[in-house]
Amino acid sequence: MSLKVLVGCKRVIDYAVKIRVRPDKLGVVTEGVKHSMNPFDEIAVEEAIRLREAKKAKEVVVVSCGIAQAKETLRTALAMGADRAILVELSPKEYEIMTPAHVSKILAAVAKMEGSDLIILGKQAIDDDCNATAQMTAAHLDWPQATSASKVEVTDAGLTVTREVDGGLEVITTQLPAVVSADLRLNEPRYATLPNIMKAKKKKMTTLSLSDVGVELKEHQTVVSVEEPPVRSAGIKVKDVDSLIAALKQAGRI
Amino acid sequence: GRGLASLRVIDPAFISVFGMLSRSRSLICPFRVVRRYQLSRLHCVFSRRFTSDLFSPTEEHTSLRNSLRKWVKSDVEDQALLFNKEEKFNQSLFKKCAELGLLGITAEEKYGGSELDAVAAVIANEEISYSDPGFCLSYLAHSTLFVNNLSQNGSSAQKEKYLPSACSGDTIGGMCMSESETGTDALAMTMTAVREDESKGGNWILNGGKMWITNGCVSDDQPGDVFLVYARTGAKDQQRDAISQFIVESSFKGFSLGFKIKDKCGMRSSPTAGLVFDECIVPAENLVGEIGKAHRCMMQNLEIERLVLAAMSLGIARRCIDEMNQYATDRLSFGRPLRDHGQIQRHLSESYAEYMAARTYVYHAALHTDLNEPGHRLDTDGSKLVAGPMAKRVADRAMQVLGGNGYVGEFVVERLWRDSKLLEIGGGTNEALQMNITKELKSIEKLE
Repeated sequence: MSLKVLVGCKRVIDYAVKIRVRPDKLGVVTEGVKHSMNPFDEIAVEEAIRLREAKKAKEVVVVSCGIAQAKETLRTALAMGADRAILVELSPKEYEIMTPAHVSKILAAVAKMEGSDLIILGKQAIDDDCNATAQMTAAHLDWPQATSASKVEVTDAGLTVTREVDGGLEVITTQLPAVVSADLRLNEPRYATLPNIMKAKKKKMTTLSLSDVGVELKEHQTVVSVEEPPVRSAGIKVKDVDSLIAALKQAGRI
Repeated sequence: GRGLASLRVIDPAFISVFGMLSRSRSLICPFRVVRRYQLSRLHCVFSRRFTSDLFSPTEEHTSLRNSLRKWVKSDVEDQALLFNKEEKFNQSLFKKCAELGLLGITAEEKYGGSELDAVAAVIANEEISYSDPGFCLSYLAHSTLFVNNLSQNGSSAQKEKYLPSACSGDTIGGMCMSESETGTDALAMTMTAVREDESKGGNWILNGGKMWITNGCVSDDQPGDVFLVYARTGAKDQQRDAISQFIVESSFKGFSLGFKIKDKCGMRSSPTAGLVFDECIVPAENLVGEIGKAHRCMMQNLEIERLVLAAMSLGIARRCIDEMNQYATDRLSFGRPLRDHGQIQRHLSESYAEYMAARTYVYHAALHTDLNEPGHRLDTDGSKLVAGPMAKRVADRAMQVLGGNGYVGEFVVERLWRDSKLLEIGGGTNEALQMNITKELKSIEKLE
């Protein structure tokens, strides 16, 4: 089994940054704010590299759909050990209207161009929390999907994937090619070591345009407003269970 | 959502301005012009790819800092208090540094190093010192005092023999300059190196003792593996600075671990020792550079040594500010958070401003320090003279802001307070730096 693996990476605002709403209330402040690779995508990259190290995969290609700065994210992936990187470059205006509906089309096109056998994505991006790209990509390609994966095994028949679902764990098998989305407990991503960071400089990074992948970006939705969550109001203290029940009834909660 | 508490996040990797950053060997010019030229080469880089600022001049540096910050948080932070308490050296953490490519951070790639610049070394030491200055001191002694010095001054054969295992963490190294009676007055050292007759083998015989050697031992009774040792090859009444440099392996006959220095105030997770050289036989090929000319090697390496020690002070200060900043919000006094009180405002604000001033100076000096040649002493020494006392003051204010909690191990600042003091003494006492800077100033009629 020598799979060609395609991994999607998204450049998002770093998870530790305190998010601020833009004055125009149509988005969040991104200018000058620290960005990094979406944490679930790091897990996806790590899984792909592990498959290559276990000799189940022969090549790990990372792809990102974004503005020029997304190259930084791709370099991180290369520094982790990916072999090649592809940036499908969008202008800032195009990026504003990009949604999983568009990304999935782009990824499907790239997978076809690359002849990929397996696509691994992060289950969701921490900026939009959509949890949709993997599913849509599979649909476009008419491939099976195994989402929220916490364990992935490559077998002679295809994949055996353990999924984290509301009720617990679910084990499914799929044939290949397939799309997998990585959940939190799939693995712990490695640090980029200095030697790998140096090797990464020599690895190939290609830039493609939307026309290269044959995708048109049409605006599907308009953001009406973005607001801070409401400030949490103070609670009240009650002295016994009866008062608690009374207070809950009064608030219409029970 | 953001429920990704313990996830390791990797950051952007380096780009191909690497060539620009690596030590530019072709620029050999004795005058200050060389620095401006190098800076303008870097400026070309900056205008194309200036992502950050003075403290992380290129994407490469940003990447290094981000990766390190996360690694330190997950692997270095939690072990710090215990190793400090037990005065033990964390050998497996040291090995982890090798995996990350940190041990040979400035050494040539062909010997296993990462071949980065002074700024990268400063970043590494600053980031590690945020959590464990003690461990960082051992890292510094190995990577700067041993690896960098040998990388600069050793012959190909010597580098071939000793650098790969030092970069891989298979050997741990240090540097022996100070003795029990000579510190600041380094050139008054009494250890001698006398050459045998060719007929007997032409070896060097070293006699004397060295003191305060970081990594001199790795445990109570195990010595470190290899040292760069300075010894007097000229007669005492001859030139004071007829000093030579040797590579001494702890397995050489006549070398022994005198004793591990215990009960240190701070830097307790860094092992320090007194070493004994009693008719110690050093093969002729282990002389580094020319006989009697090691003074130059010593001075040159002291420049980067002082920068990275200053970097340690920066890491200590940054941690102390983070701790007191948070505490000043969380802790209430007289019905208000501490930070509403003027005296606390003074502690916090002065710490921040002094820290930023020191940080700017250190990184500015690092940017201008060419690892390949000396000539930056004024500002490398100036950096340490500013940063060392600054970190001590900031740590003291942090302990004061944290009050009783600041006096206790669990709250981190007391350990950093104890660690910070060393930087006014080791690697150049305040007094040594004052002496050097005054000497440098003598030849400057007017400052720029």
